[in-house]
Amino acid sequence: MLEKHSGPDRVRRWPGTIPVLHRYTPGVAGETFFDALRDRGVLLGSRCGTCGFTYVPARLFCERCFAELAADTEVGPGGELVSFTIGFVGLNGGPLDEPVTLGLVRLDGADAVLCHRILDPGGDEPLGIGQRVEVVVRPPDERTGSILDIAGFRLQ
Amino acid sequence: MGRRAAVVGAGMTRFVRRAQETGKELAWEAARAALDSCELTLADVDAVCLTSAPDAFDGVHMKGEYLSDGAGGWGKPTIRTYVGGGSGVFVGIQAWYTVASGMADVVLVVAEEKMSSCQPHPQGAFLTIFDSVLERPLGPNLLWIFALEMNRYMHAYGVDKRDIAAVAVKYKRNAADHPSALLGGTEVTIEDVLASETLAWPVQRLDVSPVSDGAVALVVAAEGVAERITDRPVWIEGVGWNLDTTYWTNRDLVFPEYVANAARMAYEMAGVTEPRKQIHVAEPYDPFDYKELHHLEGLLLFDRGKAPEAAREGVLDRGGDLPSCPSGGLLGVGNPIAAAGLMKLAELFWQLRGDAGARQVPGTPERGVAQAWGDLMQVGTVVVMGVEGVSEGRPAGPAAMEVPTPPTEPRGRGLSEAEFRAAPGAVEHALDARYAWDAGVAVGRFLDGLREGRIVGRECRGCERVLVPPRMFCERCFRSSDAWVEVETTGTVQTFSICHVAWDMERLEEPQIPAVVAIDGSDGGFLHLLGEVGSSQVRIGLRVEAVWRPEDERTGSIQDIAYFRPVAEEG
Repeated sequence: MLEKHSGPDRVRRWPGTIPVLHRYTPGVAGETFFDALRDRGVLLGSRCGTCGFTYVPARLFCERCFAELAADTEVGPGGELVSFTIGFVGLNGGPLDEPVTLGLVRLDGADAVLCHRILDPGGDEPLGIGQRVEVVVRPPDERTGSILDIAGFRLQ
Repeated sequence: MGRRAAVVGAGMTRFVRRAQETGKELAWEAARAALDSCELTLADVDAVCLTSAPDAFDGVHMKGEYLSDGAGGWGKPTIRTYVGGGSGVFVGIQAWYTVASGMADVVLVVAEEKMSSCQPHPQGAFLTIFDSVLERPLGPNLLWIFALEMNRYMHAYGVDKRDIAAVAVKYKRNAADHPSALLGGTEVTIEDVLASETLAWPVQRLDVSPVSDGAVALVVAAEGVAERITDRPVWIEGVGWNLDTTYWTNRDLVFPEYVANAARMAYEMAGVTEPRKQIHVAEPYDPFDYKELHHLEGLLLFDRGKAPEAAREGVLDRGGDLPSCPSGGLLGVGNPIAAAGLMKLAELFWQLRGDAGARQVPGTPERGVAQAWGDLMQVGTVVVMGVEGVSEGRPAGPAAMEVPTPPTEPRGRGLSEAEFRAAPGAVEHALDARYAWDAGVAVGRFLDGLREGRIVGRECRGCERVLVPPRMFCERCFRSSDAWVEVETTGTVQTFSICHVAWDMERLEEPQIPAVVAIDGSDGGFLHLLGEVGSSQVRIGLRVEAVWRPEDERTGSIQDIAYFRPVAEEG
């Protein structure tokens, strides 16, 4: 039934796209989180008293027990490095100009971890899981209410 | 058929144009409201059945997994099903078989949609519903498929547009009594509908349900458990689902066979032998006003072509003999795709318990049917629900409820366009999804034929059809097709539309006239554009011929046919 094409140039292809752009609003809890980050330079989490779990960023509800939560707990600025990776390859497979280091950090007061860049990880000492880090928030005039208002985590 | 299952609780958010809430937050609001309505907690839930329409609407890959925390799925068996617009009713079927199989006693059922994220218009996410090789080069938009179906239906039965416009008016009037409604209002008249902007004739702006955000949730429980949760469970008595071919240009759009097949499946399971008598309230799927009529006939509640008459006579009004969409439907309440379908099951739940408040249909309805539809006019999903003990002295009308029917107290608000644009922390990403689609074996040869100025098809000797567009296997006989056949380059217009807008809803300078042309010498046909014809001259049944591009400009594309024009009349 199937016909074989001997030459790859005989396989005709039709290019196309899915032409959409998405605008993601942060939601009810997200707006509170980003307002606080922008206006006060603090990170807000949400504590579920029933489950004994503090989420960060702040959340409207606890996914474990479905209770309604508030953005009631300030977390950080210090924290513990839970894991990290060093990326050498970009989105399309080509090499990055500079390697990028991402870390998962459990900020003081939180149970959930936050993912962000590790700043200036270089030097001769390799990164250590369990190492203490500190979140670096940009100066007020540079903050817009974005996750990038956080510059990253600095090793202590 | 396994254990019986009943709906024991329901909740929903308001349906709004742009929700402040994320999709997860919308899902949680509805799911929490559903659990609260029957005083259950998340710990009581054994499994989660979740649905949402294309990932591309919310702009989230693996949307089911993304929504699962808001749907109560953490640490539980959770699966998202998806069957286009049919999803919201299908997820009720998924809940039924999850319970009937014995795998779960209590299931949380959640449907969510956040279409506002998709810019400039959710239609952009839908363009790949058209065949990339044979249809997208023509520049189609989603309105075409509705317009082509509506035209065919109106033509076949001589339906007056006024009767269809009256449906839109009824919906908005019904929805005025729905607390979650986006578009409820008693002020819209038939004249308003008929005067509204023509988008793709015969579809006008007020014929169309609005893009919306929202979520709905149900709690479904097994027999033996349901009765401990509520003294008025609403049983899922019948379920049915059916899918028709994606070769939509090869079938007559006048009657939705797939809805009828799904309905028969559901009625048989429910023991319904005379649907018109035994169904007391209907919630057919109504993204456009004509669809209510089309679907009521597909649900075998009215003879073909007879639903408009019933509408005119008031049979479908809340106080009529067969109330249809007492909720106000998608046209009135709103159309967050998956959530809208589940809203219909929720409505039957409230109606059959006597809890529908100002929307309550009078009397003691015992059995209702909900239906949804989707894809490329392909899927029918049907659920029959019923209550027992009505004739044994159950009090009719609103009964005392400990928790209110919709909507839940919203934690967020509907955003205006300006607020949406200015929301703090908002992020925009363009989906850089680029594809190179293969024409495939059959369509490759078809395109070779077009370059040579010929239309070719494949013969299936099993069902004795000549298939155009050609395919290497027959989807009916499920065997290879047999031979290449050259067919004519003339044909007949099966249906058409006069389209004034592009897919992003911007007005076109010149209207386009898409048409489904049945090709002579074949049992099929395809979508193309008409040219050299005025809008007022186009009609169903018009004889047309292909107009070819000059030979040296042909590339092996559907556009090697520039358009079809009327065949010159003789004499």
